[in-house]
Amino acid sequence: MKKSTDADVAMSKSAVKISSDLLSNPLCEQDPKFLEMVMALDTAMKRMDSFNQEKVNQIQKTVIEPLKKFSSVFPSLNMAVKKREQTLQDYKRLQSKVEKYEEKEKTGPVLAKLHQAREELRPVKEDFEAKNKQLLEEMPKFYSSRIDYFKPSFESLIRAQVVYYTEMHKIFGDLTEQIAEPGLTDEQREKENEAKLSELRALSIVADD
Amino acid sequence: MASSGSDEPPASETEPEIPGAECSIYEEVIWLDKTEQNQRLAVEELIKTEASYVHTIQLCVSDIRAHLQQKQLPDLDLEGLFSNIDDVLHVSRRFLKRLEAAVSHTEQLNQISALFQEFKEKMESVYKVYCASYEQALLLVESYRKDPRLQQEILDTLNTMVPHTGASDLSFFLVMPVQRVTKYALLLQKILENTSPSDGAYPALQSATNAMLEVSANINEYKRRKEVAFKYNKAEQLTLRERLARLNTHSIAKKTTRLSRLFMHEAGIVPKTEDKEYDDLEEKFQCLASGVTMLKENMGSYLNNLAVFLISKPHECELEIEEGAVQQYRRLAGNLHLTIFPEFRRRLNRVVYQPLCSLTDALKGPQQLIKKRLDKLLDYEEIQERKSETGSVTYDEEAAMNTYLAINALLMSELPRFNQVALQLLGQILNSLVALQREWAKKVLEETTRELAQLPHSHLPLPTFWKMVEDTLRQSGTQLHAFCQKFETVMPSPLVQSLSPAEERRVLSLVSKHSPDKLYQVISNISGSKDLDLTLQRGQIVALLHGMDTKGNTNRWLVDAGGPRGYVPAGKLQPYHLDQSQKPRMQMLAPDDRAERRRHSYTFPEAPRPPVPIVTPASQVVAGFSFAARSPQEVSLQAGQPVAVLEPHDKKGSKDWSLVEVNGQRGYVPSSYLVMVPPWEPLGWSLPAWSPPTQQT
Repeated sequence: MKKSTDADVAMSKSAVKISSDLLSNPLCEQDPKFLEMVMALDTAMKRMDSFNQEKVNQIQKTVIEPLKKFSSVFPSLNMAVKKREQTLQDYKRLQSKVEKYEEKEKTGPVLAKLHQAREELRPVKEDFEAKNKQLLEEMPKFYSSRIDYFKPSFESLIRAQVVYYTEMHKIFGDLTEQIAEPGLTDEQREKENEAKLSELRALSIVADD
Repeated sequence: MASSGSDEPPASETEPEIPGAECSIYEEVIWLDKTEQNQRLAVEELIKTEASYVHTIQLCVSDIRAHLQQKQLPDLDLEGLFSNIDDVLHVSRRFLKRLEAAVSHTEQLNQISALFQEFKEKMESVYKVYCASYEQALLLVESYRKDPRLQQEILDTLNTMVPHTGASDLSFFLVMPVQRVTKYALLLQKILENTSPSDGAYPALQSATNAMLEVSANINEYKRRKEVAFKYNKAEQLTLRERLARLNTHSIAKKTTRLSRLFMHEAGIVPKTEDKEYDDLEEKFQCLASGVTMLKENMGSYLNNLAVFLISKPHECELEIEEGAVQQYRRLAGNLHLTIFPEFRRRLNRVVYQPLCSLTDALKGPQQLIKKRLDKLLDYEEIQERKSETGSVTYDEEAAMNTYLAINALLMSELPRFNQVALQLLGQILNSLVALQREWAKKVLEETTRELAQLPHSHLPLPTFWKMVEDTLRQSGTQLHAFCQKFETVMPSPLVQSLSPAEERRVLSLVSKHSPDKLYQVISNISGSKDLDLTLQRGQIVALLHGMDTKGNTNRWLVDAGGPRGYVPAGKLQPYHLDQSQKPRMQMLAPDDRAERRRHSYTFPEAPRPPVPIVTPASQVVAGFSFAARSPQEVSLQAGQPVAVLEPHDKKGSKDWSLVEVNGQRGYVPSSYLVMVPPWEPLGWSLPAWSPPTQQT
């Protein structure tokens, strides 16, 4: 998610660079119409960038940080699971010892050892069961809490985008009214470009490859 | 005769008006007839030659070229040979038709002149192209002549199609248009010669002749410029070796003179030939060039960033949330990524980036020419200087001067147009960029608003929405925190258990030596690797001596393990709290210390004096062996029965007997029959080996 926002910011910044570089080009000084077009473009791009930054900030606050917080629960969860594993190992070990003694013939020392082992086993078993139960209770709760947890994040993602693109649409709408012909389709634009390019190529100073 | 005729005042040609001067009039008539005849002959010649010309060209195109085309020879460059001969043919045919129509007219000379005027531009443009490529065509013919097979093919075609001409080479035909266009001027001149200046058609004829002469001159100029442009406008990609190979004294001399001139210019020693107009043009061009390259770079980086943005697809990560806002977001982001964004990128590419690339390519030619012009200018100045000194120049120098002039003229004439068109193109590209962005924004907006409408909180105005989101998130934050806590409380491991008696004694000794709050329990097995490192088992108690090692490393602690001392990793220690219940045992244990220590050297004496087992009331006691009560104070035991030890000694204080309660009964049993079972057995510490005491009766 973070990469996505970073790329978004980078995109916007390079858009601004386009227009500001053009503005700094001395070409603008020579042709007033060109100059005003480039200036309009530049203001538009800069405004876009500020909106984009706002959008990214919002997303940061409402999505990325909650995500981080959510994932910070996981380490402690993992620790708890590991502990449970450990106790499980102990439990199994002692259990097998008890069983071993139970299988041997019931002589005095064996019985003593058996008793001893059973005694050892008991608290471990209780401990394990307690941990297990706790985890069994808590983990599903945690898991299901994520739904409600993330709901606002996603809503805000969408909402932020709506805001941003409304602004963008408005800004560029104004811009096109100002300087461009909005009605052309791509093919028409392509044709126009091609026409100009072939005009250029017709000049003999341009190399024909 | 013609000269005498021109002395006379112009009169109408046909009727001799002045009677009387019969002789001179007759002469005049004769002259007039002669000139008229010549004129008519000239006009006829014009028409006839035109007709035959058209005919030959027709042959060339339809027969020869078609034949060669049919042969499908891959090495034959028909395009290069014949270039735009179709256009030439077309124009010439039309011209011929009109010519023939004009001749039958009365005012034929006027008509002819008018016709030439009408056609001159068309002719110029068509012949211009043909003549410019004529040189190339000749080169091609040469190269084909060297190839025997092709030559054979060509000859064969010529012989089959046009045997009457006896031509042995294509160049015979190819040269015809070139010759023709210059012939027009000559023919017209001939007609003009044979027309008296008083003739009404004379001015028209004259202007027509001039026009055709102009056409020829223009075609030549065009050809020269084309050659110069072609020669210089490609930036040659030479390897270093090729460049070195090109160096010879001549080129080195040339370059050094240029360089020295350049220095002189810069230093102000020699005045630069200033051409304000050219400089303006060049400056504008350079601005344009830099602007275009910069724009291209920026667009490139923009597109790259867009691509990177598309690559990172967070919406595809699985969260396993089935409903609600998540699905919508997924749908939205999916749509955006799959369709709208790529479409935007494609369109941007097509309408903005590609033209930019082509424009940058187009810039290279002029840039190269400009460079060359500077070089040639330097040469030119050199030569000028020398010319002013010596008064004459060699043929090469003359050629060099002309080249410079040609380049200069070319640039001057074409740069303004170039600049203008390029600027327009740039403007168009920017327009497209803006329009595209708008459309993209519109599409995305549609999608997002559609999704938004389905969200529960869409109706909220923006600030309230954000506030609500913030509150919810804060709540969730606390909730998460609670979870964290819960998980962490699970953590403490169950190591708080009683110890074996030996352990306990060690602990007590440690405690007595150090303070109780310095006790630590080993959480997991430690194996010492370096010298002075201890090897300890899990559960052992040690006392902290020093919180760091000699090097100051706080992760290694010096501990006392109740005998050996050494270093252990601090992470494997956990603070240990002494169990309060162990305290009262201290008195009991202390005197038995010695007994414990001597245990191993004991051989077990007969009962009833067995070595005293340490019986602690806190630990579980089990009957190790069966015992039959022999007196009412004794109680029977079954092996393995748990018993509760009430007193570890009998009434007389003898340790041999213990008062126990078992099965609800109380009584004395031999202490040796009792086995103490600690609830937790430390690994590696084996219980002292017991052998059953021999039963004594």
